[in-house]
Amino acid sequence: MIEAFRVGAVSRGRTLWEGVDLAAGTGELWVVAGPPSSGKTLLLHILRGERRPDSGDVVVDGESLYRGSPEHNRRFRALSGVVPELLPAEPGKTLEELFLLSALALGGLTDGERNARMGDLLSLVGLSGAENVEVSSLSVSERARAAFAVELFRSPRYLFLDMFLASAGREWADRMGALLRALAREEKTILMMERRLPDEWQAQKASSPLSAGPFTLYRVAAPPRAPKEKGRERQSQASPVSDSAEG
Amino acid sequence: MSGPSLWWIDWSLHRGPMRRETAGRFLLCFLAALYFLAMLLSGGVNRFLSGQYTISAILHVGVPDDEGTGIAGKVAALPPVLEAKYQDPEQAWAEFLAAYPGLESLRGEGENPLPGYVEVRLRPGWMTDEGIAEVRSALEPVSQVEKILTGGDVMRNLLRMKRWANALLWSGFALVCVVFLAFLVMQEKARATRLLPEVSFLASRGVPEGQIASMRTAGAVVAGGFVALLATGLACAALFLAARHLPLVRVTVGSAEELLDAKILLPACLFLLGAAMLQGLASLAGWRATIPKGR
Repeated sequence: MIEAFRVGAVSRGRTLWEGVDLAAGTGELWVVAGPPSSGKTLLLHILRGERRPDSGDVVVDGESLYRGSPEHNRRFRALSGVVPELLPAEPGKTLEELFLLSALALGGLTDGERNARMGDLLSLVGLSGAENVEVSSLSVSERARAAFAVELFRSPRYLFLDMFLASAGREWADRMGALLRALAREEKTILMMERRLPDEWQAQKASSPLSAGPFTLYRVAAPPRAPKEKGRERQSQASPVSDSAEG
Repeated sequence: MSGPSLWWIDWSLHRGPMRRETAGRFLLCFLAALYFLAMLLSGGVNRFLSGQYTISAILHVGVPDDEGTGIAGKVAALPPVLEAKYQDPEQAWAEFLAAYPGLESLRGEGENPLPGYVEVRLRPGWMTDEGIAEVRSALEPVSQVEKILTGGDVMRNLLRMKRWANALLWSGFALVCVVFLAFLVMQEKARATRLLPEVSFLASRGVPEGQIASMRTAGAVVAGGFVALLATGLACAALFLAARHLPLVRVTVGSAEELLDAKILLPACLFLLGAAMLQGLASLAGWRATIPKGR
């Protein structure tokens, strides 16, 4: 479980937001929606353990990412994947090389396993046979889907996606949404940063939106619960999110 | 079939530039190995000098040939001596006439006025004052020896010049090594810079930078050792062929068969080890210069 407590951030001497609370449990898919330049990417970095918040703390599985051991922070990053807003494209870099890099991070895979898995994942995101295509020649949508496939290669337990649906484009949003919900059912914890929740998703969200700072938080998918626990669900739905001090 | 490893991360991700850089590295390593082996075999100018210079022990007139041969045999057993050959009076006379034709009249009534002598050639490594002194001190007590010709002051000057020439040649090798090292560090900095985005990707996915650095360094030592082994092997082959077909190389550098001598093999192995370690250290230095600790 990823828990953010009263998290605040300052950028260029200006308080972007403070008092953001969030709790994303196993099998949950959260969308953090916010206007441009509201600090969504910054929040993502903070939640991933890559940038210390200016106030508050982030706790994963009961241990702080910033005040706990560096090894805990490293283990968390090893278990998490991140899809950036725009996949950097060095000249000449192919998709296969990105998967190779992901395989290096994962370790212990043979070339045969890597190739098979790469083919499966690329076909899952609609990029079949694009292994040797240069990243720089891909469209924004293709790059976003390719970056997503590269992260899925390592089967991360936690997944952070920055403007993924917006980059993937309207025609891919549904398919990617279904894929993300399927991943949540496989007990992955998914956090997405978007400008707004896609219209098609409004009906599917599990809880009413709550605001935290400049952000609106939506819990789109929750893990299946045993029938006897359902009564308690209503109580817990509101608990992961609280109002921000600024909000 | 094995998968990618952090040991070969540069080769896995940047194969094209790595091939080109390794070709350049191989060429420099080959030149350094060729220079080093040639210096080991020749001892600088020692071999050339030992081929040109001999110590002559002139015997008294009338010393029998078997005694002259015996003296040559004993001198040949001395550590500094490569070869000691007895020349009987008739051979001495023939050499004299070859050098000064038309002086046959000096041999009145058929008697040979020249004595026999022992010609001593020193080993290349013993072309020193000490080597000459050791041969001289071994010959001086021998009663049959009338005079020992070692070159006198000319030889002392020649040995001094030899020391300077050798120092100059070894400085040349040191320069090749410095150029090799500078080339390595520049290459490794470029490699680390090229690898920055990938390192950043891996670090943000929980792969410790220290682990990447150490495994990459280990890979550089192994790959560097392999490059050095190939380059040294090629240098040996080049010396072998050159010594076989070019007399000048045979005279100044020596015979390639001597490469199998332990005196050459051991330093050659140390050269290989040094080249591999140097490449590993250069890899680490390039990494540290580009990717500071705790970035």
